[in-house]
Amino acid sequence: MIEFALLAFGLFIMLFGALGLIRFPDVYTRLHATAKCDTGGAMSILLALAVSVDAPAVVRFKFILLAFLIALINPMLSHAIARGAYKRGIKPKVVVDMYAGNNP
Amino acid sequence: MAEEDFLVTLRYALWFLVFTAAIVSYRVVFGPTLADRVVALNTATTKVVVMVAILSVVLNAYYLLDVAIVLLMVNAVGGLIIAKYLEVGR
Repeated sequence: MIEFALLAFGLFIMLFGALGLIRFPDVYTRLHATAKCDTGGAMSILLALAVSVDAPAVVRFKFILLAFLIALINPMLSHAIARGAYKRGIKPKVVVDMYAGNNP
Repeated sequence: MAEEDFLVTLRYALWFLVFTAAIVSYRVVFGPTLADRVVALNTATTKVVVMVAILSVVLNAYYLLDVAIVLLMVNAVGGLIIAKYLEVGR
């Protein structure tokens, strides 16, 4: 029964990440929505598959490895994209921009 | 093979993920800047990785997991190169 709960949690998290990507006004707020939501949703669904699957231990290990790699790679990519977008000159639509002091 | 109820649920979950990927592809097509498109493409690729992992359980073909891992790594390298292009500009 735990796999149904994990699967539903991951699917709803992914839906809300997609809605945030559509509705937010800015590159950085869209990154804020999608990076966390996608990482958490994908890890939750992969853990549900690893719990439920009836296969040799290598297959379970591959699911766990895939969740671990997503947890490594997805925050790294969102950090790199945010840094690149700021260095390109896309300004965030916020009142206080603390990062602008170091990057004129 | 997992148990039968969970397999039926996984088929609906697959179509649900296709629906969310279709929502995300709106931002790929109509995004105002290049960074928006890159963010949306990375999100869609992560969804495709999860879809391939689900498909390996549904079809009972576990070699597709290697395809998912390789697709994730290609996504990482491509995203880093595009981020470097955004920063440097050439």
